[in-house]
Amino acid sequence: MLIVVGELLLLALGAGFIGSISGLGGGVFIVPGLTLLGHVPIHVAIGASLISVVATSAGASAAFVRDGWTNLRVAMALEVATVSGAIVGASLAGVLSGRVLEMLFAVMMLISAYFAARRTGEHILPSSDRLAERLKLGGSFPESDGRMVRYGVRNLPGGAAIMVVAGLMSGMLGIGAGALKVVAMDSVMGLPLKVSSATSNFMIGVTAGAGALVFLSRGDVSVVISSPVALGVTAGALIGSRMLMHAKVEALRLVFIVLLLLIAVEMGWRALGGI
Amino acid sequence: MATEEDEDRILRVWTPRILRASVLTSASLLIVGLIVMGLSAPGFYIDRVGDIQMHGRKAVKQDWASLTVEAFQGHPRAILMVGLLILTLVPLGRVAFTFFFFLKEKDHAFTILTATVLVLLIVGVMLGRVG
Repeated sequence: MLIVVGELLLLALGAGFIGSISGLGGGVFIVPGLTLLGHVPIHVAIGASLISVVATSAGASAAFVRDGWTNLRVAMALEVATVSGAIVGASLAGVLSGRVLEMLFAVMMLISAYFAARRTGEHILPSSDRLAERLKLGGSFPESDGRMVRYGVRNLPGGAAIMVVAGLMSGMLGIGAGALKVVAMDSVMGLPLKVSSATSNFMIGVTAGAGALVFLSRGDVSVVISSPVALGVTAGALIGSRMLMHAKVEALRLVFIVLLLLIAVEMGWRALGGI
Repeated sequence: MATEEDEDRILRVWTPRILRASVLTSASLLIVGLIVMGLSAPGFYIDRVGDIQMHGRKAVKQDWASLTVEAFQGHPRAILMVGLLILTLVPLGRVAFTFFFFLKEKDHAFTILTATVLVLLIVGVMLGRVG
């Protein structure tokens, strides 16, 4: 038993570590890790991954919330959209075949690789639009010199529409779908990039939690797989986030993009019956 | 009623505490569960992993109340399941906290938003039970 638990722990530790240091989240790596290397069916891998994503989000987002980077009101306003999507996605995952899920996963990896390769400039909206103003969604974040910078928010409905899709992907494929969440907040709603990343990290927990609840209630979570995986991913993410402060992430960017493309090819090939 | 800054400060202090405490509790249960399983039923673990790898998933609906009782009796599978359940309920607990917070602060829009998320999460559980 020790060897099997050790193997799963190591696999999850690696996935959590790469997920954290790349900013893509553990789910992106744990699902292919379990299916391609651990020979675990994708439905079981998705259930295990969703629970791990909750753990990593809770751990990672705590510091961002405390330090003032997370926009809690924007997160809570958008959670209605991500949770709706996640519940539908997790319900769909129960009826879709493994091959369809593997193919969808491959497509999602290609989309993530595109977003990882995209470069965005920093921008700050001086004021919010009417709806965002009414909901008091605007906020402020701390600059390196301690000065608080105020920013506005726009187009909540547009952001929410993308969040439904992000939730759907999260619940169906066992990932955090952080890339889509960041696009919704950064490009559509005009939030500063760092605030978008921190807020996305916070929201991932509730989104994945909603999907995991559907899987757990359906009896689709395997304790023997999910338990060491949740522990491993959490530990890996913790180590990754500590190293993130010292690592030159920009230099590793190309490595992560290649890794995502390789996963997309392997999962697509598997879906087509190649493995 | 607290000012907007007070509101923000209270949320920023309590939210990380809730998140960290729940993850620590759940991780401890998972470690204890795996150790107890390793000591009492290592064969069960190996058989289950092999079975999943060979034959795929078998959905087994859990009775969560009896599972909790079994966990207190020291059954490793039940301890692990409760650990995973606590982890999954972390966000639910966080949303419930903010719901009561906004209700107390009479922030009607956010009371409705957080209540909707809570209702959706409960719908998710119900969908899973019947699915």
